[in-house]
Amino acid sequence: MANARSRQQALADLRKARRRRRVADFDFMEALYRAYVAALFGGAALWWLALRVGGKEVATATVGRVATDGPQIAGAVVAVALAIGLRSGGRGGPLALEAADVRHVLLAPVGRRAALRGPAWRQLRFGAVWGAGLGAVIGVLASRRLGGQWPAWAGSGALAGASCVDGALGAAMAVSGWRLGRRVAGALALAALGWSAADVLLARATSPMSWLGQVLLWPLRWRPGAFGGVALAGLLVVAGLVALGGTSVEASERRASLVGQLRFAVTMRDLRTVILLRRQLAQEGARRRPWARIGAGAGRVAARSKPAVVGTRRAARTGAPGADGSGDHAAGPRYPGSRSVVVLSPLWHRGSQGLLRFPVARLVRLALLGAAAGAAAEGAWQGTTPLVAAAGLALYVAGLDVAEPLAQSVDHATLLDGYPLARGAVLAGLFPASAVAMLVVGALGVATAVGMAGGGTQALAVAAVIWVPASLCGLAGAIISTVQGPPPLFSDSDLMLPPEAIGAKVVLRTLWPPLVSTVGVLPVLAVRASPTDPVAAAVANAVPVLVLVVLVLVWVRNRERLHAAFDLALGRAGAGGRVPDGRGA
Amino acid sequence: MATPAPSVLVAMGVTKSYGDLVALEPLDLAVEAGQRLALVGHNGSGKTTFIKMAAGLLEPTSGTVAVAGEPAGSLGARALLSYVPDEPVLYDDLSVLEHIEFTCRLHGLDDWEDRAAELLSLLGLATRAEDLPSRFSRGLRQKTSIVLGLVRPFSVLVVDEPFVGLDPPGRETFVKLMEEAAHDGACVVVATHQLDYAATVDRCVGLRDGAVVYDGQPDKVELPSLVG
Repeated sequence: MANARSRQQALADLRKARRRRRVADFDFMEALYRAYVAALFGGAALWWLALRVGGKEVATATVGRVATDGPQIAGAVVAVALAIGLRSGGRGGPLALEAADVRHVLLAPVGRRAALRGPAWRQLRFGAVWGAGLGAVIGVLASRRLGGQWPAWAGSGALAGASCVDGALGAAMAVSGWRLGRRVAGALALAALGWSAADVLLARATSPMSWLGQVLLWPLRWRPGAFGGVALAGLLVVAGLVALGGTSVEASERRASLVGQLRFAVTMRDLRTVILLRRQLAQEGARRRPWARIGAGAGRVAARSKPAVVGTRRAARTGAPGADGSGDHAAGPRYPGSRSVVVLSPLWHRGSQGLLRFPVARLVRLALLGAAAGAAAEGAWQGTTPLVAAAGLALYVAGLDVAEPLAQSVDHATLLDGYPLARGAVLAGLFPASAVAMLVVGALGVATAVGMAGGGTQALAVAAVIWVPASLCGLAGAIISTVQGPPPLFSDSDLMLPPEAIGAKVVLRTLWPPLVSTVGVLPVLAVRASPTDPVAAAVANAVPVLVLVVLVLVWVRNRERLHAAFDLALGRAGAGGRVPDGRGA
Repeated sequence: MATPAPSVLVAMGVTKSYGDLVALEPLDLAVEAGQRLALVGHNGSGKTTFIKMAAGLLEPTSGTVAVAGEPAGSLGARALLSYVPDEPVLYDDLSVLEHIEFTCRLHGLDDWEDRAAELLSLLGLATRAEDLPSRFSRGLRQKTSIVLGLVRPFSVLVVDEPFVGLDPPGRETFVKLMEEAAHDGACVVVATHQLDYAATVDRCVGLRDGAVVYDGQPDKVELPSLVG
């Protein structure tokens, strides 16, 4: 016993020594500058949000509806957070230890619960602070539309937010420590989501998730029973801490390595690497067998033939057979025993087969993102303007998944260079398959928005008009982000810019892809401003958005040539600038 | 007739799969105290998988691995088994000496300074003991990792590809230290591609595609085919 105590003391001393060294290396001025920048940007964002949200207080009837239905809807968000936590626990999360901690502490004869308690508390503290902060902001914003004292809103929001995040973390730790596995964790997540959905449909708050929603809306209606939600979140935290000792070392080691890389990728603002590592962390690999094989026979034939679409275009330039689209390539060569009737473009085939290998988890995420985009767009139409950004962001994130075939080609530049085509042509050729998938995601958003609006022909017509540009623009933003890659640490053109301008350039480069995605949802605001003829307003505003999508495609197709021309114009081709490879011509 | 030494590392029907991929076929292995065993095989043959399962870093899909009767990865097994990985994993913000101190204390060792000084001196790290390993070369980090593996008490020493990045004197010293450990009664299991080292051990186990294809005394004729 004394031995166990001395080992735990050694562990405490180890952490103390490391903390001491970190404090000694702490750069006070750097931290102060970061806090200053965060406060500046955070304050500006809050100010803007407060201005946008606080147009005017909503009608009394609406407040009553929010008080009645709001807890269940907020509960659905809590259920999603809980489901994410359970899913993470099924894969060994949520703790992300340092690799050295796994090797030196978890492999030492020290009780695992004692070894993991410190990191677990740190994560819970961090989660509580962020959850409380986010909840307080939501509360303050809600106070401006729903009335009431903002401190009360901020307090109830903070309690609900902290309980939600820490409840999810506690659930994850419990699932991980008790080794419930992915299937049980998935079933529990589905049960939580199903219970919450039933609450929403029946307009009754029976689940602990809805009780936390009631906590959020306490300033509207005081329900002491909602404390049950907070208590259950606390119980989940206790369960998680009790179960810590059973956490898998194998999972901890895998996560330690991936999370280390993930943090580095975040530091480098390398979004694509972040996505890939997050998928590895969630063990979200592509399916070995696709859900379906589109034109399987045709695909095999296409692999042995020249590319149909591009080949036809080339034929058009050279006057070769196939130029009119009726040649062998367009009609599809017939091989003995082949079932193929039409030869698909290899790029379309590659794109569609990649998308058809998406695992269930990714499909569910896409469906949720589509629904969230629709719900946010409906909220914007009803008057909460900032929800346009939420809808755009949801479509952007969905686009990052759907643009996977194109992203794979960008990742494997060597393979891309192996095709007898310009890089831009290949990337642009991968767009149609992703566009079809994105339209399916957008359709889920349309269904959600129309459902929330209570149906009606006009709502359906408006949503149908906005559907295509919003979906494609969401994808376009994601494609821009994927194709441009992470910002370079330093580029030649930076030589001519002052430091402030370089910072602004980096921010702009990071923000403009999601901004492009958000542009696709802006017609919603135009529709809102034209209550007499919303469909005409939707059509009028959808056209420029579609033009933007086309421009993005043109940019993807000709990006390298444009850059090469720019470099040549600056006379830097021979001095380290990009050298045109001629393949884009 | 001498009584055979007890087996301190025992694997019974142990397998490891990742989905459809079988990393290790059912493996039965018993390593006696004082025995030096070399695990040889080409890349992906299952050497590291077995080593990590013995260390408790990987969990078997089926079967068991025991260290002196304690399940691998359990508190008791962790006290008895020392693992030197192929890729050194060290804290960026602790010096070599701090690493040693905390490793020893975590293993309940109070009197560690003399042994630490001896190992540091043998491996040429005595003058770098106060430095942060994050600023070391690959070879120096590997040497630090070796010191951490040997400074604590153990009955089983498992080592994965130990000679990568080591200079010839370092390699020679480490081989001697492993011999000493075996002489003192520890069982030493080394996964390696180095045929000259494998030829010197007491027992050689060859793995191919996760299955044992050779188990016996090192055979100079067999060894190249096992590694290649």
